[in-house]
Amino acid sequence: MKNSLGEKVWMRGIISSHLGVPGRKVLFTEHHQSHAAAAFLTAPTCRAAIMTADAVGEWATLSVGDGERLANGPTTIRRFREIRFPHSLGMLYSTFTAYLGFKVNEDEYKVMGLAAYGQPTLVEQVRKLIRRTPDGAFALDLNYFEFHTTAERCYSSRFIELFGPSRNPYEPIDLDTAEGQRFADCAASVQRVLEDTLVQLARALHEETGLPDLCLGGGVALNGVANARILAESGFERVFVPPAPGDAGCAIGAALYCDRICFGNPDRDLPDHPFWGPSVDGSELARLAREDGHFVEDCYDDALIDQIADDLAADRIVGWMEGALEFGPRALGHRSILAAPHTTEMRDRLNREIKYREPFRPFAPVVPIEVAARYFDIPPGGTRLARFMSGVFPVRREWRSRLQAITHVDGTARVQVLEPAMAPRLHALLEAYGQRTGIPVLLNTSFNLAGEPIVNRAVEGYSTFLRCRIDVLVAGETRVMKRTSAMTKTPVNTLKKEVA
Amino acid sequence: MYSARPHERPTAFDRMLIPVQRWIWSDADRRVQKLLRFSETETDGGRDILRAAEVTSDPLLRRLYLEHAIDEFRHGVLFRHRAAALLKVSPCRSNSGFQGDWLTPGGHGLDDLQVDGESDSDMLAFLHLSEKAAASRFTVYRDVMQHDPPTRAVFEEILHDETFHMNYTLTQLARVEPKRHRRHLWRARLSRLWKVYLRLATGLSGILGSMLLTIQYFVLLPPFAWLAKRAARRELSGWTIVSPGGSESLDRQY
Repeated sequence: MKNSLGEKVWMRGIISSHLGVPGRKVLFTEHHQSHAAAAFLTAPTCRAAIMTADAVGEWATLSVGDGERLANGPTTIRRFREIRFPHSLGMLYSTFTAYLGFKVNEDEYKVMGLAAYGQPTLVEQVRKLIRRTPDGAFALDLNYFEFHTTAERCYSSRFIELFGPSRNPYEPIDLDTAEGQRFADCAASVQRVLEDTLVQLARALHEETGLPDLCLGGGVALNGVANARILAESGFERVFVPPAPGDAGCAIGAALYCDRICFGNPDRDLPDHPFWGPSVDGSELARLAREDGHFVEDCYDDALIDQIADDLAADRIVGWMEGALEFGPRALGHRSILAAPHTTEMRDRLNREIKYREPFRPFAPVVPIEVAARYFDIPPGGTRLARFMSGVFPVRREWRSRLQAITHVDGTARVQVLEPAMAPRLHALLEAYGQRTGIPVLLNTSFNLAGEPIVNRAVEGYSTFLRCRIDVLVAGETRVMKRTSAMTKTPVNTLKKEVA
Repeated sequence: MYSARPHERPTAFDRMLIPVQRWIWSDADRRVQKLLRFSETETDGGRDILRAAEVTSDPLLRRLYLEHAIDEFRHGVLFRHRAAALLKVSPCRSNSGFQGDWLTPGGHGLDDLQVDGESDSDMLAFLHLSEKAAASRFTVYRDVMQHDPPTRAVFEEILHDETFHMNYTLTQLARVEPKRHRRHLWRARLSRLWKVYLRLATGLSGILGSMLLTIQYFVLLPPFAWLAKRAARRELSGWTIVSPGGSESLDRQY
């Protein structure tokens, strides 16, 4: 209530004063309307079914509808119906996120990663929490939850009776113990129920609309395993998920909704890439690194690509900054940490020395579209889903032993399939790396450390580079190699002694 | 009781609060909560200082800030690990009650800092005073922790770093602003005082707001709660049809 009275009711005034526009010019779109617009109006399709799902927005937690746009003509987005709070797939998943000791609305992806280590042995128990209603929707049994009555805890004591004690967030998950395995089984079970429910809802929507395309929006659409099952089992031929399907993407959705529907402006195609942020400046990196006495090289085009491919082939870890920053939570090739994908040692090294994160979390690969099918079992329509890393697909069995760092425990990977036009330099790097190693696949993880946002400017990449064991940093046409502290201009320990 | 090193002598105000601190830290639950909060504060402070490293144009400061930020992140980990160890021994109650830190929400008082807008000298003055205050408080915490040697050891280790932070910020301030560094320190002191007032005022208004909302909750809301519960009972689960014209007006927030 404090939050509502303190900020939310004054939102028009806050936006108006921050942007310096009159209050009457501030318009409000509904949350799921924005999700729907972000999913549909950024997708290269003229007519599609639309499904949005998240924890809650106003009252809606899931909505279905369709959209149609004509080139240089009008746009319509219809929402047929919605499921309302407290009945929420997002909240069901978030409740398990909290139960498993992770942060709600932040760490849901960890539950998905953990699920692969478990068996869905608790599906029947999870189904006690969520039942299907006669009209094809679902309802939560609120006796097992507390998120609708208090901000303190998501689940009730009955939930604990059903699943056992919750995990202490400050203790690591040890998958070799019965307790650790129970948590993995919980994750696998809620993941299975989420997938089943989404597939059934999507299948019903496909039967209702008869359309070949589905646009997915809302935070639940970040669940790549569920997205792949929707593509495989719902009947839709293509599934579109924008690069930022969560609440951040609502900003684009709201703007597009107002432009195309409220103001009635004619439809225009949007660039089909996620690179909407500020550009990186290689000269800024060169200046910083020279000031600190690191090796700096300015190379151009092919020479730089060749050099970086050599670095990667020599098992060096590369911080890669290129062009404009990605919008959304995925590293899609402009702010990435790149590494050789072949061994588990590389995965463990990245987890231990750079990302400082739980060992059960997988790393994603990036592969050129021309050869993606050789290494990954991507179904028809899957390359679209993999464009923005929105689907999880099997790594082909014969390549798993040579792609250990990016193959999850269940043999899958959240692969990015890269078209040359989307990120030409990364595509060229993949090809150059393929020429050296025979496998044009790289491990691609977001350029940040645990708990920090993805880097934006060169200076942020540089400070991240200095704080972890990334070997090489690239920004634009500048390549920096770290010197050991003994070789830098004034070692930090000396500095400490001097000034202390 | 106090260390012989002068920088570790707590301020008079902190010394006055020793009995309160002894009581606060005597309870294992409160200790865990405090350590977890310190962990968050140190990590947040680390992010702020890291940002300072990224925005400064002075190469030496950049490297010192970076080292400082790494220390703060490490302190966050130390506090978190110690809290986890305590939790393992005695799982925490859900409500830890009064913790006595109403006026000092952050160990370093780095809250509400707009790093991008601060000059190097303002930042250094601010950091110096924050580190000095933290060192003073941490000395008290260490000294009241006789009954818990591992937690005491954590404070001891962190205090060692605080000394470096306190000294380098002052040295660098004198380097960056040789003639006006005292003025910057006084300005930072006033700013801290103003923030104390703001915290007091915010705390007080929070109490008043809570009281008013609680009164409203019991006096005004029951009829609405009764109506809402009745409506909830009538509400069907499953799909709700979205009327085609229902969301056409974009002028209203609700």
